[in-house]
Amino acid sequence: MTHTLRKTARRAVIGGLLATAMVVVAGCSSGSAGAPEGGGVGTADKPVSIRMIANEAFANQWQELMVPEFNKDFPNIKVQIDGVPYAELLAKSMLDQTGAKPTYDVIIADDPWIPQLAQTGSLLDLKKDAKEWTADDYDWDDFYAAPLAAGEWDGVQYGVPVRSNLLLMFTNKKLYQDAGVPVPTDKLTWDEFFEQAPKLVRDTDGDGKDDVWATDTYFTRDSLTPTIWQTVLNSDGGQLLDKDNKPAFDNADGVKALQTQIDMIEFAPPGASTHGFNESLEAFRQGKVASLFMWGSVFKGTAVDTDTTTLTPDQVGIQVMPAGEKMAGAHRGIWSAAVSAKSPNAEAAWALTQWLSSKKGEVWQANKLGVFPARKSTLASTPEAGSEWLAPVFTALAEGFQVAGEGEMWRPRLPESDAVQQILATETARATSGEISAKEALDNAADQVEKLLG
Amino acid sequence: MARLSSQTTTHPSRRRTHTIDLFSRWSFLTPATVILVAVLAYPIIYTIVISFSELSLATFSPTSWVGLDHYIDALTNRNFLNSILVTGVYLLFALPIQMLLGFGTAFLMNAEWKGRGVVRALFLIPMVVAPVVAGGIWRQLLDPLWGAVNWFIGLFGAPALDWLGDPTLAMITIVLIDTWRWTPFVALIAAAAMLSLPSDVFEAARIDGANWWQTLTKVTIPLLTPIIAATFVVRWLGAVKMFDIVLASTKGGPGQATNVVNLYIYEEAFRGLHFAEASAMSVVVLVITMVLTAVFLRMSNKLEEKF
Repeated sequence: MTHTLRKTARRAVIGGLLATAMVVVAGCSSGSAGAPEGGGVGTADKPVSIRMIANEAFANQWQELMVPEFNKDFPNIKVQIDGVPYAELLAKSMLDQTGAKPTYDVIIADDPWIPQLAQTGSLLDLKKDAKEWTADDYDWDDFYAAPLAAGEWDGVQYGVPVRSNLLLMFTNKKLYQDAGVPVPTDKLTWDEFFEQAPKLVRDTDGDGKDDVWATDTYFTRDSLTPTIWQTVLNSDGGQLLDKDNKPAFDNADGVKALQTQIDMIEFAPPGASTHGFNESLEAFRQGKVASLFMWGSVFKGTAVDTDTTTLTPDQVGIQVMPAGEKMAGAHRGIWSAAVSAKSPNAEAAWALTQWLSSKKGEVWQANKLGVFPARKSTLASTPEAGSEWLAPVFTALAEGFQVAGEGEMWRPRLPESDAVQQILATETARATSGEISAKEALDNAADQVEKLLG
Repeated sequence: MARLSSQTTTHPSRRRTHTIDLFSRWSFLTPATVILVAVLAYPIIYTIVISFSELSLATFSPTSWVGLDHYIDALTNRNFLNSILVTGVYLLFALPIQMLLGFGTAFLMNAEWKGRGVVRALFLIPMVVAPVVAGGIWRQLLDPLWGAVNWFIGLFGAPALDWLGDPTLAMITIVLIDTWRWTPFVALIAAAAMLSLPSDVFEAARIDGANWWQTLTKVTIPLLTPIIAATFVVRWLGAVKMFDIVLASTKGGPGQATNVVNLYIYEEAFRGLHFAEASAMSVVVLVITMVLTAVFLRMSNKLEEKF
């Protein structure tokens, strides 16, 4: 009797374990089955919720203004956007996407990040996996090649441009005119820039001290600081890495490019060696510097918004960076939107991403939010009433995308991109601070990059 | 026999009491132990494990054992070694200055003078300001173009200084900001310690005809030595974590002049995504910190015994 009971109990336990194992196996197999099921775009009865991780600099703006506009077309997709500081955004996105059940369905990635994210296998192949959810009128060929390429890695399109940007040259036309120096055009060369620079450093109030300067930009230890001399190098026809991903900047062209950035400090405000995004932008907005090499996206806050600038649209010029031996310069900085391959609502996530990068979404974003587009049709359009300031920006962007594409003016397209940029930032800062020469800095950087990329 | 019987009857009860005592102790200790293991031991062990491995970014877990490779890389990495040196220079200047100023200020705070309460309250403000905010505010104050400090020293004919742009001045500036922030902490502990000193010893010194200097050097300082040593260890443990003020004010620049080791490791890990290499660096720093802390604690104990 006891034996029978024990046998029954053992059977029950084994049966239970088997049943549990079957449930687990069933769960695993459904979870690992190739492409996601999509989850649809929701219905009035069963809306779909998706979450996006984005830079805090624009997450709120999107949540408050963009999402309601998107919901006019897709009322059954609830969107929550979480803003994260730039410095933490990549690490947080990576941590989230490498988990079994990522929190985020849409990832907004900066220009060099797509390869790193794609390498983890956590992003959807938009042209293949999302093809059936792509609208017929979604025109891939309408994008400029340079911004679209930011979302591509290893022949696969993982992201689409949703906030485009370029490193451009800003000019304070009044300071040029007051100094008797011709206002630059897109034909300006670096040689001409340095010929003009001494005349733009002036004492305007007669107290014996200079109070306006020729230029300002990134000089501090920041991953974006090397983008200045990288652009100069690209304008001369050089590249950071060769086709085998070996350093190609530790040569005379590289030294010349970095020296160009170092020489700019002589004509920049005191303390410029510590200047980064905020400091240089503030100096320009306060009318203290005649030129600024900065991301085009700051144009509205620099020339239009009276709350943030002392300048007016008429006073501020925007154009490609001065030309080197081969062409003008413009360093690409694109925020791409990618869809998580593990998202249970990938179709809804792609619907949002698609809308943002569609012709309709781009035109709305550009005119209502001042966000820069990446499509040829948008950049060729006439800005709406109230957004006339966009006209010169569109011209500069169109020219910039063209040269950036031709000169491949972007940060390395590798999973180690940020690490490369970090090495360059440290060595560039050592050179701009006078700690070491341009040649020493580039030799050091080349050694480290070579070791990193092995 | 009776004694034996008594022993056999008391043993179980003593054992039971002991067990109950042990149980009650562990019932109090367990929650804290579990939390400590979860939030402290686990991350440390995980850091050590990945410091000996390759870390896959795809799974965020260690893949292959690489032995001491990351440690060899760290100890031959010129920038990492430089960051340790920079941290050492900062500590060498910041800690003694803060200790001297803190105890000096405590003497003033404990003396009777009008407005002492208000000054004491204002004096604590730097301590409660978030370090990132403090770094940002000082950056603005010291800006050569817009900053109030250069404007102020200019009133006396002094030339404008590039506080954060000159490598030497930048380190001095970091020490000054940190001193501004942490001297009140030292002063607070010192003031409390001074109030607790036995008054009869001072009374005896006064009767013996000791002057102010003799009282200070022969009575006050010897009595305060254990407190000074303990405060130094506490402050050392805080200072060695220096990160946020540097990040907000200089970002480790100009060049690498203020690139303290924690900032360097943070950037290696979260910008360069070299988590395994950064873990090895963290372990190196942890070992250095633990060894030096042990030395300081031993010195502190010796001083306590001596005085």
